[in-house]
Amino acid sequence: MGMLRFLLALLVLVLPVAALAQDQAFTNRDTELKQRADAGSGTVASLRADTAVKVLARAGAWTQVQAEGKTGFVRVFHLRFPATVEGSSSSSSSSGSNPFAALGGLIGGNKPDERAKLASTGVRGLSKEDVKNANPDAQALAKMQSYRAGKPEAQRFAREGKLAEKRVDDPEAKAGR
Amino acid sequence: MKRTLAAATAAALLAASFPAPALDIGGLINKAIDTGSKLKEANRDFSQDEEVQLGDNIAATLLGGWPLSKDANLQRYVNRVGRWVALQSERPDLPWTFGVIDAQTVNAFAMPGGTVLVSRGLIDKLGNESELAGALAHEIAHVVLKHQLSAIRSSANADVWASVGQQAAGERIARTGGGYIAHVGEGALANLAIDSVKNGVFLRPLDRSMEYQADRMGVILATRAGYDPYGLAGVLEVLGTMQGDGSGIDIMETHPAPSDRLAELEKLMPAVEGYANQPRLEGRFLQVVGRK
Repeated sequence: MGMLRFLLALLVLVLPVAALAQDQAFTNRDTELKQRADAGSGTVASLRADTAVKVLARAGAWTQVQAEGKTGFVRVFHLRFPATVEGSSSSSSSSGSNPFAALGGLIGGNKPDERAKLASTGVRGLSKEDVKNANPDAQALAKMQSYRAGKPEAQRFAREGKLAEKRVDDPEAKAGR
Repeated sequence: MKRTLAAATAAALLAASFPAPALDIGGLINKAIDTGSKLKEANRDFSQDEEVQLGDNIAATLLGGWPLSKDANLQRYVNRVGRWVALQSERPDLPWTFGVIDAQTVNAFAMPGGTVLVSRGLIDKLGNESELAGALAHEIAHVVLKHQLSAIRSSANADVWASVGQQAAGERIARTGGGYIAHVGEGALANLAIDSVKNGVFLRPLDRSMEYQADRMGVILATRAGYDPYGLAGVLEVLGTMQGDGSGIDIMETHPAPSDRLAELEKLMPAVEGYANQPRLEGRFLQVVGRK
């Protein structure tokens, strides 16, 4: 019973942290929370720099967030993200050759639930070891190249999506044209 | 290089003034010239053919270890988006090839000559076609700017690199004689490809400056292709809220932090702000990836 209570307490402590990490961002300057994804729309709230926000959805230049109990839109460049790199260079999720790889990943900080997710989908992660000693697979290369799109096909595809070519100068003048 | 030339010149002068040398001056000269030509080969530019062959060999090597997605519909879709964006670059006629790798790890890889691999894990994180276009445009920019080629060059085994040039010279002769050029899995370019995957250079991070440059050019290319210029910013936002998988080669471990990339990209955006209402094509994207 005591053990169970301890585990429950642990869950209560751990879960909100994990939930926050997934979609948390902070304002990187003083900015405004707008009603719509439009600078001309009404202001829901003025946010100070370093205000914690919860990311709800991406909408191009704007991001829908929840901040200070209100929902609205903030410019994407006015946010900073606490991206974390978990684990080191261990190839824990995929290399079957090293029985200690999983352990190394845990020590490196890889979250066990992430690992479980990978395992349950049946799709593996990439590893350097998989390719370091790989033999070139000419058949797979040919298969991949069979999916190439020619110029007319790409142009037709663009028309179908109503994508209109624009002349945009590259400020660095390195993209050419 | 200069020193080698000077040595060769000095040796030649010596050889001329002493008709019966006690040393094998001729051998020394040949050696000096040989070293000189190796250095010359190490510094020359790759032809487009060589770049494509090197890229094909790297791709074949990676595909030897990483499985290609069997979703033909998705493969064709990614190729159409990618080719359309690549057509906006200064290298529209490369044999552009885009391949989806069936793996959860989030990343994308560009190979010299126009092959781009993108993981299914990355595609699953994206929300619309303009974000996919932004991610592919970043990789296309790496190819256009030959970033991987210069990384391979600066860390390749000197002898392996030099052998590419020597073989190329041989092949030019073979080609004039109607000979067939070895392609995948054979020859000096295949050795260089395998060498660069094995020694890890191909999977290591590029310079930060190269990543920022590819981000900027990527936004320009996607905007020219008619997409919302904020697609790539959307990708960086997604990456900003995810965690690396600890494999050592996911995008979080091979690229600068998303917030740093966004801060760099912000400087460019006034130039494309006027295109912010271009399509994002959410419906077409979600349908192909099976989320609609």
